[in-house]
Amino acid sequence: MCLGVPMRIVEIDGFAARCEARGIERKASLFLLQHEDLKVGDLVMIHVGNAIQKMSEEDAQTAWDLYDEIFEAEAAQDA
Amino acid sequence: MTSARTWLERIRGLPLPDSVRVMNVCGGHERSITMAGLRGALPPQVELIPGPGCPVCVCPEEDIYAAIQLARRDDVTVAAFGDMLRVPCNAPKAEPRSLEQAKAAGGDVRPVSSPEEVLAIAKAHPDREVVFFAAGFETTTAPVAGLIANGLREGLPPNLSVLLSGRLTWPAVALLLDSDTPGFDALVAPGHVSTVMGPEEWEFVPKKHGIPAAVAGFNPESLLAALYSVLRQVIENRPFLDNCYQAVAQPGGNPTARAILNDVMDVTDANWRGIGVIPGSGFTLQEKLGDLDARVRFSIEPEEDRKRAGEMPPGCDCARVVLGKIYPNQCILYGKACTPRKPIGPCMVSDEGACRIWWASGVREQAGADLVRE
Repeated sequence: MCLGVPMRIVEIDGFAARCEARGIERKASLFLLQHEDLKVGDLVMIHVGNAIQKMSEEDAQTAWDLYDEIFEAEAAQDA
Repeated sequence: MTSARTWLERIRGLPLPDSVRVMNVCGGHERSITMAGLRGALPPQVELIPGPGCPVCVCPEEDIYAAIQLARRDDVTVAAFGDMLRVPCNAPKAEPRSLEQAKAAGGDVRPVSSPEEVLAIAKAHPDREVVFFAAGFETTTAPVAGLIANGLREGLPPNLSVLLSGRLTWPAVALLLDSDTPGFDALVAPGHVSTVMGPEEWEFVPKKHGIPAAVAGFNPESLLAALYSVLRQVIENRPFLDNCYQAVAQPGGNPTARAILNDVMDVTDANWRGIGVIPGSGFTLQEKLGDLDARVRFSIEPEEDRKRAGEMPPGCDCARVVLGKIYPNQCILYGKACTPRKPIGPCMVSDEGACRIWWASGVREQAGADLVRE
């Protein structure tokens, strides 16, 4: 539940956004980042469908790499 | 960025005391530590202890029971984060013991992954009462507060209500530190809780208790940087709050999220499953929200006998696992009667439960005598 996933904003409509990561698109709320000037292309940490923080390219990349490792390890265990 | 290997070499080069016990209080941290095999890579003096980091595991029986009773009604849909559906509670034999069982018995139970999905369900089914059973720590409760605050602006569907079971993380750590046996010498503080609430929340750990602390992110580099920091603090006897997740967990936290939490919720004493009531550790909906609170709309009064501490299933040691008193595989049920396929305790159900994480990483054996902490 607390797993945060970095995603890139691809479309903004008010507080509603479409975000993308690794080819997967999700709707996300930008309501909790009203204090930020967000634009298409920005990276945000998404937690239960809500952007909770802006992120750098580098931090997003390390988070994605980590999840790849975790999911591979879990898939190997479940197999 | 300094690599994980370099951090490990630096840690191995430290003049460590005979034993340093480092607690983490975040399921995400425990998952990274376990999956990256950090325990095996660190010097043997360093013990990494999973502490209270799983909101699903501490969600009290009376709330789960109340959600199940709502799900049994013909006119109610219950939406909850997926983890909550399989958490068992005690119930009379003929009744469902989890939301999943209530669903199998014909109840309308919907797993969701965001508060906005619940809003969509409520709008799509105006003829049904839709109850959002929202358990979680600060990172999850802030988006729930966001849904409510945004709804107050735009109008919420009248058939939507919220059964809130939100908890604050730091009071559980304060409870441990105020006890005679905290069981740890240093703390790795949670990254995303700090992102929302601000790292400053954890300053009481070094200031009041003299315990080293460092906020960490979720990759091995950030976790090892935090471990290196707290180990150096232990060696130099110079405890302070370090932040090894600075890019994301910024001073003051997320100002919008904190303001919104203050606008729609109050902080109250709250029951933690298996642990008991922890002062100032729960979120509750403000009175002004009226029957948006499912507890008001459906007159939910917790049954007194469900509120006593220790309400884990018989034989289940989840309470001591949550408090970091024992490792998951020191519970006699671990891997025997209790597995992810047939879980008995909540720590084996949730993706953030220490038992589930250890099982997913391949730990199948009961703990040897050398691992026993008590």
